[in-house]
Amino acid sequence: MTPSLESGRSFPLATQSRPGRLSARTCALVRQRARSPSSSVSLSRALVSGAVRGTMNIAKQVAGGALRFRAYATAAYVPPASLEGMQRARPPPSKPKPESPSFYTGRANYFDQLLALEKAAKQTRTALQELQILPLPRFAQQNLPPSPGYRRFIGQLNQLNEYRRLAEVAGHMELAGRIQRVLDMFERENKDAILAQGKRKPVKFDEFGRSYTIGRRKESTARVWVIKAKEAASSSTAAAGQGEAQPSQDAPAVGIPGFTRGPLSMAPTPIKVPTTNILVNNIPLVEYFPHLSDRERIVRPFRIAGLLGAYNVFALVRGGGSTGQSGALALGIAKALAAHVPEVEPLLRKAKMLKRDPRMVERKKTGRAKSRKAYTWVKR
Amino acid sequence: MSALLASGAHFGHSQKRMNPNFVPYAYGVRAGITIIDLDHTLPLLRRAAQVVRGVAARGGSVVFVGTRTDLRSAVRLAAERMGKQGYHVGERWLPGTLTNKVHMFGPEVARDTQVIPDLVVFLNPIPNIHAIRECALEHVPTIGIVDSNVDPRIVMYPIPANDESTRTAELVAGLLSVAGREGVAIYQEEQARAAIAASKRSRSREPLA
Repeated sequence: MTPSLESGRSFPLATQSRPGRLSARTCALVRQRARSPSSSVSLSRALVSGAVRGTMNIAKQVAGGALRFRAYATAAYVPPASLEGMQRARPPPSKPKPESPSFYTGRANYFDQLLALEKAAKQTRTALQELQILPLPRFAQQNLPPSPGYRRFIGQLNQLNEYRRLAEVAGHMELAGRIQRVLDMFERENKDAILAQGKRKPVKFDEFGRSYTIGRRKESTARVWVIKAKEAASSSTAAAGQGEAQPSQDAPAVGIPGFTRGPLSMAPTPIKVPTTNILVNNIPLVEYFPHLSDRERIVRPFRIAGLLGAYNVFALVRGGGSTGQSGALALGIAKALAAHVPEVEPLLRKAKMLKRDPRMVERKKTGRAKSRKAYTWVKR
Repeated sequence: MSALLASGAHFGHSQKRMNPNFVPYAYGVRAGITIIDLDHTLPLLRRAAQVVRGVAARGGSVVFVGTRTDLRSAVRLAAERMGKQGYHVGERWLPGTLTNKVHMFGPEVARDTQVIPDLVVFLNPIPNIHAIRECALEHVPTIGIVDSNVDPRIVMYPIPANDESTRTAELVAGLLSVAGREGVAIYQEEQARAAIAASKRSRSREPLA
């Protein structure tokens, strides 16, 4: 009664309801022949030919999988004997199957862990039930030991902290110190790290005295290393003193001709101008920023702080255009100067050099030509 | 077997919103509810079990889909019974699991593992109609518990039964997974036999070389 099944790998035709003994094609042939006005003889002949065709189908099935699905009436008959030595098409190498049983949910890791937890909870529940701990009877619930009572503890510690503050404000430092020692017993080791979590981290210096800061403007980022410039060849001049006139190689320093008395007759004291380098992406500043406005923007933090020849700068800048890169560099330099010379920080802050310019390119909106520009208004 | 089925809360469903294609599997109507003919259900259930066993015996992967809260545990247990060849989907079937597998699982997984399963069993096909469609698109055979308000032709091997009853679904899932477990055992036996034969062959070749 139950129809026999072919291999489970056949292509699904969801309309196939009852596969019978004869193939569907044979049935169709028989039905076709039967419809034509013919006698029972021709019908039997049709059945026979259909049966012959059925055997032909079986032969083709034996031949191999490819022919099974292309059993056209025009295909040539191949005797089984010549199919003996034929090489069968090897099935394609099978790929490994997914490991997790919840692979087809799309979130295998989540469901695996969730189900493992549910299983653990279930097992714990059964174990506790076996040990008669679950469900807990009323008398046991009432006599459970109380939960740790952290609320009272923290209340007391807060109170102590308040007293410590009062003592500090009142000037009784010894008392405040003793209270602090009591509080220290309850504080964590990494208390400072936790307290400093949300705040801005201070700029760190490495073993050579270099600071590393980052500045950003528009789409550009500048990574800036600033190191104090050494007073290189000025040791001899410093020892000699400022008043002595140092004859330069080109011409001796003399007063302006035509003046015999007064300040203009005196030879000017030569000023040793310290030179420092600013390298941007390993290129000197003048080459990298040919525009004066960009260079001025970069040097502005030095001017405001009054530290023009004091520091060497090495920067790596990426992204954006010349204005963005110069602005990012200026911010990085300002942050570094504030770290090297903390006295200068209020000056830079007043000049708004330490503020990251939040202006960014505004996005284009739908219905507009650009971010603000509207299309030409048409009356109709 | 038939007695078990009859005793389960398994017969009869849905008011007269009966699908006309379901008529061959319906016994009649009583109190506004269509009664399903279990004499048709039983052989179709046996056939579905044969399919699961056959697919598992050839090393195929079977996915059990039951997206209701009460079906979740049944589906998980059924997948567990089939070991490495059983998978389950207890929550919503994400559209594109089979047809958009590169986006869903990543290109490496889609390239290196066999994502398309060899058989999918639906314990509640009505909410998972998109999953059934995906299976049809990807040529995956499907088995499903079809109710009287559903066209039984949507799945390849329908099992006409009550889809709202938890016990029915658990019974069907259990039956199919037990058949699948037998198929897995057959497959593992064959693999073991093949491994022994291969090792014998390699040992017999060694002295010649």
